Amino acid sequence: MTFLQPWVLVALPLVALPLIIHLINQRRFQTVQWAAMRFLLAARAMSSGYSKLRHWLIMLLRMLAVAAVILAIGRPLSRGWLALAGGARPDTAIVVLDRSPSMQARDPASPATKLTTGRQQLAETLATLAPQRCLVVEGEKLVEVPPAALADLPAAGPLAAAADIPGMLQAAYDHIRDNAAGTAEIWICSDERTNDWRLDDGGWAGLRDAFAKLPQQVRFQLVAFDAPPKGNVAVRVTEARLERRGDARQLLVSVTATRQDGGDDVTLPVKFEIGGVTTSVELELSGREAVLANHALPLGRGAAARGWGRVSIPADTCEADNEFYFVFDEPPPRLALVVAEEAAAGRVLELAASIPPSKELVARAESVPRSGLATAPWAEAAALIWQGPLPTGDEAKLVAEFVARGGQAVFFPPEATDDTTFAGVAWGEWLAHPQPLRPEQWRSDEDILANTLASGALPVGELEVQRSCGLVGDIVPLAALADGLPLVARVPDGRGIYFCGTLPRPRESSLAREGIVLYALLQRLIERGLEPLAGARQLVAGPTANAILASGAPDSRWARLAGPAGGGSTEAASQAGVSESAGRLVAVNRPLAEDLAPIASSERIDGLFRGLSYTRVEGRAGRGDSIVQEIWRAFLIAMLLALVGEGILSLPRRRAAPLVTPALAEAAA
Amino acid sequence: MLSDRQPRSFLEPAVLARLSGVPLVARRPMVGNVSGRHASPHRGSSVEFAEYRKYVPGDDLRRLDWRAFGRSDRFYVKEYEADTNLRLVLVLDTSGSMAFGSTKPAAQAGPQPLVKLDYARRICGALGYLASQQGDAVGIACAAERIVRTLPPRRSPAHLRLVFDVLDEARPQGTTGLPEVLHEIAETIRQRALVVIVSDLFAEPAELAGAFDHLKFRRHDVAVFHLLDPQELAFAFQRPTRFLDLEGGGAIFADPVEIAERYHAAVTNYLEALRRIVLEKGIDYHRVVTDEPYEQVLARFLVGRAAARGLR
Repeated sequence: MTFLQPWVLVALPLVALPLIIHLINQRRFQTVQWAAMRFLLAARAMSSGYSKLRHWLIMLLRMLAVAAVILAIGRPLSRGWLALAGGARPDTAIVVLDRSPSMQARDPASPATKLTTGRQQLAETLATLAPQRCLVVEGEKLVEVPPAALADLPAAGPLAAAADIPGMLQAAYDHIRDNAAGTAEIWICSDERTNDWRLDDGGWAGLRDAFAKLPQQVRFQLVAFDAPPKGNVAVRVTEARLERRGDARQLLVSVTATRQDGGDDVTLPVKFEIGGVTTSVELELSGREAVLANHALPLGRGAAARGWGRVSIPADTCEADNEFYFVFDEPPPRLALVVAEEAAAGRVLELAASIPPSKELVARAESVPRSGLATAPWAEAAALIWQGPLPTGDEAKLVAEFVARGGQAVFFPPEATDDTTFAGVAWGEWLAHPQPLRPEQWRSDEDILANTLASGALPVGELEVQRSCGLVGDIVPLAALADGLPLVARVPDGRGIYFCGTLPRPRESSLAREGIVLYALLQRLIERGLEPLAGARQLVAGPTANAILASGAPDSRWARLAGPAGGGSTEAASQAGVSESAGRLVAVNRPLAEDLAPIASSERIDGLFRGLSYTRVEGRAGRGDSIVQEIWRAFLIAMLLALVGEGILSLPRRRAAPLVTPALAEAAA
Repeated sequence: MLSDRQPRSFLEPAVLARLSGVPLVARRPMVGNVSGRHASPHRGSSVEFAEYRKYVPGDDLRRLDWRAFGRSDRFYVKEYEADTNLRLVLVLDTSGSMAFGSTKPAAQAGPQPLVKLDYARRICGALGYLASQQGDAVGIACAAERIVRTLPPRRSPAHLRLVFDVLDEARPQGTTGLPEVLHEIAETIRQRALVVIVSDLFAEPAELAGAFDHLKFRRHDVAVFHLLDPQELAFAFQRPTRFLDLEGGGAIFADPVEIAERYHAAVTNYLEALRRIVLEKGIDYHRVVTDEPYEQVLARFLVGRAAARGLR
């Protein structure tokens, strides 16, 4: 329980006042010479348990009445049934809002979303608490707002990007540390999706320790809207590509509809909107996912090759995932640069990279000697396939620039390994396996070894590896051999740098003989590398989209074609929509994890704040009551009830007939 | 009789003068040695006709009823009631509890309240005087845990003065042993007597019942003045109190507010038990609250007895 005037609680020892008065009264006894001792002795012998209980109940009720008065003067605040942690009015209140699309879910019975409910509740709560400063974390900076304005603040509105709760808490920590704020209270409003909380982020422990070491008191209040939305379906475009049919073109769009709670089979009318033309198709959804693969949308003879569209489904309990924007364009040439010191391996790699996955596509692999790297067509290349010692010096700089602008690079081991590192990774020793090893684990859910769109798994497990080269450094394994050695890995920050721990030669592995895995791996890399080169790009709302939309010349500003208008590049990168600049189109949408990520258990979330002052309050979309309410009236009522109870218990019981009057003697006579 | 020697504080001439108009009579026949105003179990020579009896040889021929012989041709002797005097034995409780008093009579000056022993002295003094005035013998026994002092019943005025001296000198002390004392008195007094007990009766009702039975068995007429102080009934204390036993039984600490209810229940139970006993034993019982004027109490006592005699 929290009090707006906690200093009043110093008077709580006054609760003992009735007891002290009772004891003093006991000390003020009189002494009387008494004759009728036999009646006194009989009375004491008759002393009943109820009498003693009544005596103590009266004492207890008096103490309760005093306590209730003191607590009422302290202006107590109610924070829900489970929130009993103590604390006074904070100097600074920092609001961390999870504005991710999943927070736009609502209860079927109410139009208010989790986010609007949370904002409203926080606005009322902070207006009641009246901290000296009220700040809202927006990205990496904090914005001061009046508490009452929180409900309508644009900076607290919904986004298409996932939330970065640890990042926002880090920003809050930095502010508290740098500004030496007094007592701080951090209010977190979230639906506890695992992707927003990044539970596997190693920074949580450090963040927790940092807060614990702060000299000022910091309290965390989590308003958890952890009820999953009922009957919500999310729609997503997984692919939109042009196909040429004679002189005409058609757009092949693949759509996925997912839901997290299963349920009955439903028929979803999926609406396509391209260039003002709307078509609709019905999609049967049974189970958790339905796929509409390569739905053909004819564009007409005169239609431009570049454009954008939108897919939508009818409204349900979460509006944010009911539409998806997509852009399309003629694909750029699929150019891969191959740098190989070993000719046999180089030929295999070159071959795998030069075969286009579709006859409409143009694919080309260009073998580049290490001496000719400076003159290689880096600007047109989508991927770099490197076999040999890791690049150093100017070579490394060229590769790093290529990766930084969105190109993808994959490295195969040299015949002779050394200590050279690139992106923090070096090749280890070659290991020969007497019996060929097969990969036992690989990431089939994401990245370059993921399952196909039709959910078919790549035959990674059928590969045989006779020799493998170790990897030294910070890596994220994507496929591992039976003995745990990484076969395919990437650097952790997702910059598009991959390593393969064997060579596509018969002596080392069956990568070449069973070329499906190698082909898929390289083509997916090229596909990814093409994204920054394409005239139309699909972006995930968030920092990546922000970086892309913020880049470019000042005169080539991005114009909003669809989605919420207004704001700068940051706003455009955080909101779903389509933007255009200098003939390039980008579609920004919510991350895939927003559709699929589960809600973390309360135990896991609570564990993140272990050792800190932390309170969890259950929130529910549409329930507009304030999290914090002044409840001094309840204490006054309690005091009145205690006094009434004390009065009732203190009433003398029905007395016997009067004993003292002369009438008694007359009656006896 | 009242004028000689020192004045007695417990005797009020005006009260005695008013009370002397009503005779003190026994409810049962008394066996006296002189003629008096009380019924005797024997036939005597009073003017009040009792019965006819057949003549037997040896009877005084002067008592033959010749008219009856003329009518029936049989000899009958005419008998009359005999009146005799009574023996009044005053049993004064002088145990420590009789020293308690919370009320002051209106006529009394000074800070001292009227204790139960003072009240008892007045009752005993008045009764002794009235009995002596009508020629009855008066005796007294002061009782605590045993008989402290005793005077056998005598008819002489000089003896009455001795009785008054005993009353004067009685001091409250010791524990109450009233049942044992009454047993002893029942054994000691051979002839029928009016035994008047003036006490607060702080004894077990069952033991008192046994003592009353003993007295009744000896054909004594028993009257009880049960003295109770108003404070003993009301128990009107407000502050926590340490009660010191006047009979030396130690102290009890109690919060009167807390214990009053059960105290009253104990008093009620005790009085009810006592009421059943006196009704059962035929005791002339008078519950006296000491804020009531003793003259009123005695008047009620005397009138009640005279009325009962008239009905007989």
